Amino acid sequence: MWGYLSKRVVQMALTFLLFQAATYFIIDAQPGDIADLLVNNPDIPPSQRQIMREELGLDKPPVGRFFTYLTNFYKGDMGVSFQQYPKPVSEIIIERLPRTLVLFLTASIIAGWAGFVTGKMLAWKRGGWIEHSSTIVGVTLYTVFTPWFGLMMIWLFAVQLDLLPTGKFLDPIKWLGTDVSANAVFISLIITVSIASIFVLTSFVLSNRAPRSYRTPIRLGSVAVALFGLVAYWINTGKAVFAWDIVSHTILPVMTVTLIAYGGYMLLTRTSMLETLKEDYILTARAKGLPAKMIRDKHAARTALLPVWTGLVFALGFAVSGGIITEGIFSWPGLGQTLLNSALVADIPVALGALTVVGIMVLVSHLVADVGYAFIDPRIRYH
Amino acid sequence: MAITDKVLEVNNLTMHYSTRRGPVYAVDGVSLSLERGGSLGLVGESGCGKTSVAISLLKLLPENAEIINGEIRLNGTDLVPLSEDEVRVHRWRDISMVFQAAMNSLNPVYTVEEQIVEAMVQHMPHLSEQQMSDRVDQLYELVGLDPKIKTEYPHQYSGGMRQRAVIAMALSCNPDVIIADEPTTALDVIVQDQLLKKIKEVQEQLDMAMIYISHDIAVIAEVAERVGVMYAGKMAELATSDEIFHRPLHPYTMGLMSSFPSIIGEKTELVTIPGEPPDLLNPPPACRFHPRCPFATEICRTEEPEFKEHVPDHWVACWHPGGEA
Amino acid sequence: MEETLETASPDAIRSAAAPAPRWRVRLRLFWGGFKTNWSLFTENPIGLIGLGVIAFFGLLSVAHPILMATVWSGNVYDPVRGIDLEIPFHPSAPSARHLLGTDPMGRDILSQLMYSSRFEFGLGIMSAVMALFIATAVGALAAYYGGWLDSALMRFADLIIMVPAIPILIVLSAIIADFGMFQLALFLGVLSGFGATAIVIKSQALSVKVKPYIEAARVAGGGHGHIITRHMVPNLMPIALLYMMFVVTTAIFAEAILSFLGLTEIEMSWGLMINTTQVLGYILRFDTWWLLFPAALSITFLCAAFYLVGRAMDEVVNPRLRRR
Repeated sequence: MWGYLSKRVVQMALTFLLFQAATYFIIDAQPGDIADLLVNNPDIPPSQRQIMREELGLDKPPVGRFFTYLTNFYKGDMGVSFQQYPKPVSEIIIERLPRTLVLFLTASIIAGWAGFVTGKMLAWKRGGWIEHSSTIVGVTLYTVFTPWFGLMMIWLFAVQLDLLPTGKFLDPIKWLGTDVSANAVFISLIITVSIASIFVLTSFVLSNRAPRSYRTPIRLGSVAVALFGLVAYWINTGKAVFAWDIVSHTILPVMTVTLIAYGGYMLLTRTSMLETLKEDYILTARAKGLPAKMIRDKHAARTALLPVWTGLVFALGFAVSGGIITEGIFSWPGLGQTLLNSALVADIPVALGALTVVGIMVLVSHLVADVGYAFIDPRIRYH
Repeated sequence: MAITDKVLEVNNLTMHYSTRRGPVYAVDGVSLSLERGGSLGLVGESGCGKTSVAISLLKLLPENAEIINGEIRLNGTDLVPLSEDEVRVHRWRDISMVFQAAMNSLNPVYTVEEQIVEAMVQHMPHLSEQQMSDRVDQLYELVGLDPKIKTEYPHQYSGGMRQRAVIAMALSCNPDVIIADEPTTALDVIVQDQLLKKIKEVQEQLDMAMIYISHDIAVIAEVAERVGVMYAGKMAELATSDEIFHRPLHPYTMGLMSSFPSIIGEKTELVTIPGEPPDLLNPPPACRFHPRCPFATEICRTEEPEFKEHVPDHWVACWHPGGEA
Repeated sequence: MEETLETASPDAIRSAAAPAPRWRVRLRLFWGGFKTNWSLFTENPIGLIGLGVIAFFGLLSVAHPILMATVWSGNVYDPVRGIDLEIPFHPSAPSARHLLGTDPMGRDILSQLMYSSRFEFGLGIMSAVMALFIATAVGALAAYYGGWLDSALMRFADLIIMVPAIPILIVLSAIIADFGMFQLALFLGVLSGFGATAIVIKSQALSVKVKPYIEAARVAGGGHGHIITRHMVPNLMPIALLYMMFVVTTAIFAEAILSFLGLTEIEMSWGLMINTTQVLGYILRFDTWWLLFPAALSITFLCAAFYLVGRAMDEVVNPRLRRR
């Protein structure tokens, strides 16, 4: 198994290098070079231009320039933003990346889990209006025009019900005059919520050992404790208002991306289950006199998971795209919105940097998916 | 038929599949019986209904199939009217099955031991974990496998090993009847031979009743005390192995016997039965074999022959058993 | 009961085959196969719904030039340059004159919708056909030759899958220039063709490669080209066509997103309609719903329709998914 994994890591590194080469040379192939773009940018003082030329290695041959670009990249230097000159691209990205990661991970995990559970239940009950209506719901969520869907969410929850804000990361009015850093609050939020989630998850897993009647109380109890702990912590630090402000702005984007991604997972699971149910070992499980639920979950779903997991790769890419568009609609300042914005104003270093980081994100999730697959398929593990 | 100690009695079983082009009566009025510890071989061409009978006995019918007539008495209890939940209790514990091409009967993501223990947990929950583990060891030794490999995954076994494992799994809850559907077809001849001997050994040791399904007469001859010959969804002939092989009464059986080459005895011409088995969507009227039968007469084309005892304990459905007029 | 090829006796078949010309037999076989597949396809109402929606939009695209030539006057109803001067305030609500109202620049919404249908279909089909060629070629060649060609193509496919199409398109439009319809179709076709579809077709081609008739063809003296084009490709067609449906979905969706963001140079499309709505500030106003809903819903429905047809085709192509 480890041999397989290390091979994959090497492959991915190579692929990424190719990707960087491709993006670099496409830009390079444009008439004029970066320097011209910089030169034409009125924000840059003339004295800087020649220095930049040398720094960027623009006086060297193409391959040399590429190597300079690469070395800079791996040192963490992705150039400087045009729009927000002279802010370094890496700084912008580091600020925005955690937000998109939160969006992406939360949405993917919830959508994946919910999609899998509903998909396997729907495949078990074939035919009838349930199957057709769930197909329609799933497909609609999958193909719905994302901007419109985002707008509908805004309309429903923000305008009609007035429950949540219409967009952006936070409400500037609430933060005026304080010296609290939004980013710091966000990072602390991530940490505290992660701790709470891990707590709840472990208690869920441990509760499987407990006798049946105790399980639900334990699980409900742990969720209650976690929530209480979170609220107590934040009130204690006095920043509860700020934390809630950020959270309330994050809920709608997360919901939107989750719903969009859900459709894909549900349909994929259902198809995979339907194929798995035709296998011989399902018939054997029936012959053994096992109860229906056990056959569905232990035998069918568990094995159907394999193709679903491989399909995960595409679902993740889809979630990333959806996330970018959603961030745009909600003006939620994550990496996606940065990508969009920089493309619209032709701030090429930032656009390129964001795209590359998105690429890394996708690549890493592919790797995680591969690792996960090696664990769930014994045929990979033991060969 | 006198009611003796019969562990399994099937009377007039009729089952059909609903297909897009109409119902297919894969099992049409089939009757058979099995004594405690006895062995019955079911023989016939592909598509004659042997496997359909087998899955009907466990009521493992797919969505589009239905038993519309007959009774299946397992230890006296009729399984046909029972609900799915009621039948589940009997499955594996009283009657189990080794499927055709059993290689794929094992789920690739669980160890073989887990899958055997699963059945035991379901039907013998009073056993402790250790007892179940010991039992798996015993079963492995019984079928000729090394107990140490029980914790491995199905893909790590060879074809023959998987077959033995599946047999061990079928034996795990000490069933009264075990149905083996072509368990050796997918294996090479040497392994096949070993496995057959092993199966016979196990059956005698456990005093277990067995239904052995095959299209290979040679195999049936080795394994079964009694033989049932099926044709086009119907039971053509049912008698002891000796009777079937030396004094077959149904023309189809006679054809089967002559088409089998023998390395002893005088050289005779290999005879094949002309024509093909009928399409079960639209079977021939009356006797289903009449289009291919050398002895067919007018009555064969108009009236269906009854399945009855022509000679004591030798059942046949034919108007001219033995070729007599 | 008429004798079909299935239940005819051997003699009848033998005598029937001799005089009939080969193309006639092929046609009959094809038609028979088509009928069976059609009945399988129609078992699932989902596929029919999808087909119906596609037909509806197809009708719209065909009807538009007819309407423009007859009932609708060019000055008022032209989707790009028209303007209705008789109505004082634009955008105007749906009325007898303008069934779906007018946009802020005075143009008839329904006309825009119908006009764009043509582009959507054109774009989708162009991308799909291109992807079809590329994916089939890549998959078949990689499976047939194996070795370094296989590795190279698969590595390339990995690269393509690596980053989702839409972010790439967004950044590319910033760097190079805004996309026109042909460039977009080309790009999407290439991306889809070399990517996931190629991998799927390759695995299908691998299972075809080991089939006995391939061996038979080789023994009969068939060269590589002959085997690939005459034997492998026809057996890859069903699954390739299936995935083409999904390519169309992706193409229409991607174009809509890009046009909505203002990153394309397409004359008129549904995405562009929504872009106009947003640029002129009407996007979050629900009293002017006709500026947003028809276009957004059209995108959703057409994408969904192709996807549903693809899913229904899946049941035809993949027997394990069928009910019986």
